[in-house]
Amino acid sequence: IRSMWSFWLKNLRQFSFSWYTPEACLQFKEHFHAQVRTACQQSAGTVGLKISKVVVVGDLYVGKTSLINRFCKDNFNRDYKATIGVDFEIERFEIVGIPYNLQIWDTAGQEKFKCIASAYYRGAEVIITVFDLADIQTLDHTKQWLEDALRENEPDSSFIFLVGTKKDLSDAVCERTEIDAIRFANEMQAEYWSVSAKTGENVNEFFSRVAALAFEQSMIKELEKTMGHMVQIGTGNLISMLNFASCVYFPHLCSQRLGRVF
Amino acid sequence: MVALQRMGPNLQLIEGDAQQLAGMIAFTCSLAENVSSKVRQLDLAKNRLYQAIQRADDILDLKFCMDGVQTALRGEDYEQAAAHIHRYLSLDKSVIELSRQGKEGGIIDANLKLLQESEQRLKAIVTEKFDTAMKQGDLPQVERFFKIFPLLGLHEEGLSKFSEYLCKQVAKKAEENLQLVMGTDMSDRRAAVIFADTLTLLFEGIARVVETHQPIVETYYGPGRLYTLIKHLQGECDQQVEKVVEKFVKERDYHRQFQQVQNSMMRSSAEKIEPRELDPILTEVTLMNARSELYLRFIKRRITADFEVGDSMAPEEVKQEHQKQLDKLLNNCLLSCTMQELIGYYITMEQYFMRETVNKAVAMDSYEKGQLTSSMVDDVFYIVKKCIGRALSSSSIDCLCAMINHSTTELESDFREVLYNKLKQGFPATTFQDFQRGVTSAVNIMHSSLQQGKFDTKGIESTDEAKQSFLVTLNNVEVCSENIMTLKKTLESDCAKLLSQGFGGEQAQAKIESCLSDMAAVSNKFRDLLQEGVSDLNNTAIKPQVKPWINLFLSISHSIEEEEFSEYEANDPWVQQFIVHLEQQMTEFKAGLSPVIYDNLTGLMTSLIATELEKVLLKSSFNRLGGLQFDKELRSLIAYLTTVTTWTIRDKFARLSQIATILNLERVTEILDYWGPNSGPLTWRLTPAEVRRVLGLRKDFRDEDIKRLRL
Ligand SMILES: Nc1nc2c(ncn2[C@@H]2O[C@H](COP(=O)(O)OP(=O)(O)OP(=O)(O)O)[C@@H](O)[C@H]2O)c(=O)[nH]1
Ligand SMILES: [Mg+2]
Repeated sequence: IRSMWSFWLKNLRQFSFSWYTPEACLQFKEHFHAQVRTACQQSAGTVGLKISKVVVVGDLYVGKTSLINRFCKDNFNRDYKATIGVDFEIERFEIVGIPYNLQIWDTAGQEKFKCIASAYYRGAEVIITVFDLADIQTLDHTKQWLEDALRENEPDSSFIFLVGTKKDLSDAVCERTEIDAIRFANEMQAEYWSVSAKTGENVNEFFSRVAALAFEQSMIKELEKTMGHMVQIGTGNLISMLNFASCVYFPHLCSQRLGRVF
Repeated sequence: MVALQRMGPNLQLIEGDAQQLAGMIAFTCSLAENVSSKVRQLDLAKNRLYQAIQRADDILDLKFCMDGVQTALRGEDYEQAAAHIHRYLSLDKSVIELSRQGKEGGIIDANLKLLQESEQRLKAIVTEKFDTAMKQGDLPQVERFFKIFPLLGLHEEGLSKFSEYLCKQVAKKAEENLQLVMGTDMSDRRAAVIFADTLTLLFEGIARVVETHQPIVETYYGPGRLYTLIKHLQGECDQQVEKVVEKFVKERDYHRQFQQVQNSMMRSSAEKIEPRELDPILTEVTLMNARSELYLRFIKRRITADFEVGDSMAPEEVKQEHQKQLDKLLNNCLLSCTMQELIGYYITMEQYFMRETVNKAVAMDSYEKGQLTSSMVDDVFYIVKKCIGRALSSSSIDCLCAMINHSTTELESDFREVLYNKLKQGFPATTFQDFQRGVTSAVNIMHSSLQQGKFDTKGIESTDEAKQSFLVTLNNVEVCSENIMTLKKTLESDCAKLLSQGFGGEQAQAKIESCLSDMAAVSNKFRDLLQEGVSDLNNTAIKPQVKPWINLFLSISHSIEEEEFSEYEANDPWVQQFIVHLEQQMTEFKAGLSPVIYDNLTGLMTSLIATELEKVLLKSSFNRLGGLQFDKELRSLIAYLTTVTTWTIRDKFARLSQIATILNLERVTEILDYWGPNSGPLTWRLTPAEVRRVLGLRKDFRDEDIKRLRL
């Protein structure tokens, strides 16, 4: 279990809310929604496990499996081993005292495995569309991949990321590709990142960002649900809480938690 | 100083002794050193002697080998010859080098050359003899020479040659089988799964080959070599599988069927393939995959066990490397890839099969009087179970999970949508009941119908149908939610069985859990839908009826004298009638809804009655006897409601009971006997302001007294 608080402290403080490029990012907030923070604070240790489903799609050989392996197992393999059907990894976190899992579904890029892989698109909180920075064609194909994945999901229910891999091979061509990628990301309403599984550059930062956004989303959904019930009962006035400005700053919460853990 | 001088001679003595002692020690030391160096020399000499003996032995051996090989070869005793070569090959190379430098170097050199020639000759002979034996299919000879290869250091060659022989056997048998397939009578019992059967024969053949020949490989080649043998065999297996699958695809028109399915899924206008026609082929493909999984599991187990023995002393990297080789063999062999491809098509076709059959079940939905649910629920779950069951029978976890996902989507989106739309049409609340209750409404209906230019009694009939449809749909939704949970449980135990048999990779368990929990979440969505439907029913069918009945309370005076009180006792003015109405109304729901839903509905109804009655009370006025009358009425109502529901009525009616208590007081100040520190076990549900307000309903209480109360 990666409930390593220090890991999170490091990642959340430094990276999790920072986006890769302001030209293509999903939001600019610097910390969790005020209400999410309050809720976490109140329910740390009492609520059940939260899970978000992440689906990774993109052409074959772009480096989807490598990206996931770098993050989950911190290794890199030069040899290409095509993914057959789907692979699956669970990454366990603890965010502000709440246990949290990312379920990462690594799908096959090869056309002949598409039928089976596409059966796993449903219910994705996060869709990661991956392309190879050194192969512009794979960027062109991301739109199709995204369309296929979105078809199996409720409209506006998933965060979308566009990720360029193999940043270590970067040269002038890659830089031009990146400009295109940012334009694509805007059209897809995706957040753009570029990473290298080989060197590990941006990999942890990227997944921290994914986890933070998905976590917040799932907490908000949960809150809306429980509030829906409360409103029904007629306790009123809860909706206005959604707008109240925050005075609790996130690192403060961390240090509180630290006090309890150590 | 004097003392020192006195010690002088003594010190001299000590010095002398010490010098003597030092001398002795030095002597002993050099003696010891001398001895030990001699011992060391002796040891060295002994070692050299041993080496010399060993070398002499080796040289003798070498000579023995040289002579022996010649003799053995002449006598065609290849085993003996190979044994000599083996001995020669295991000799220390430096020995040979040394022997050549000796006095007889020339002779040895010549002999050595002979020996090496013999080695080459023997290798050639063995290879040739093996090839001949293989050509003739002479198994004893094949095995004879197979055993000789490792003696000559030719492990890889031996295994590869032997595999070549075994592959030929496999191929021959496979071709015969395929011929048989082509000649199969299509009315044959096994005709529908003939390709699965053919694959089975192929796999069983290979498994038998492994079983039979594993001991000889282990004995003569040592452990850890099975991988090489099976890798060769897998090459042949792949080729044969390719042929069988090619025939299968052609004979069964697999790709065209897939294409057609894909077309009909994308464009609704396309000519639809009849789902029933897909049934046999879907079954056959899953069977084919199941056989492959079984076979792959077999070779995985065999190789793993063999590596375990062979690598027991090996370093970690070697073990990992072997594991990698094995994974690669299993995952990247053509068999695996081909099957994955077939299964991919299968998934799409199965999804189509499920969707189309579900649509059919919905279209043909029928309801039998006396039943709570209609036919489509049973049918739909039968279909979903059948499809998932078939995916399960493929033994592929990925295939199963994919089908679980498709089923979840089918139930969540398509089927739930059907039920949702039925509920959205609503429960036709008023017209029919109005008609029943009084002429006024009937006239109204007639009036409106006449205005529209028609009077249709069918209207009433179809209202009846619409009501039934709504109630049946509610039951259907509940059963769906239950069925999904049951299905999930069944699948959990099915999967546990599959995993315990060694199918599925390392993440199989987690994959299944994820997909099944997704499925369980859909069960909750049906629960939510049910909740919505029941509260709709309460709002549209019960509320409009109950409210007027409760409002009747207003027309009954509760400021009454003894005489009226007795009159009420003889002729109940309100509550009995109200209960009769409720009873009548609920009979229909009790008969038409499942016990769980009915109970849910009565729960909502009792809450509704409690709220509405309270509203009406606050508009009425009472005197002491009127309060008593209300208390009686409330008791009757509670007694009745307690019999119709399992919900705790007392709690829902707590406020009303407390109101009744207040309305029953003799004097205003009597409230203090029940309030605050005197409340005893009673928990007041009324605020002080509400208590005052209720007291105010008593026309015989003075406002000043109420105001003066300290609550
Ligand atoms: N230099 C470099 N090579 C990479 C990087 N990421 C992946 N690769 C290489 O690219 C090849 C393909 O990587 P995979 O991760 O297997 O690709 P994939 O997208 O999972 O492919 P499919 O499973 O077939 O869909 C491998 O040989 C990797 O070693 C990277 O960041 N830098
Ligand atoms: Mg991959």
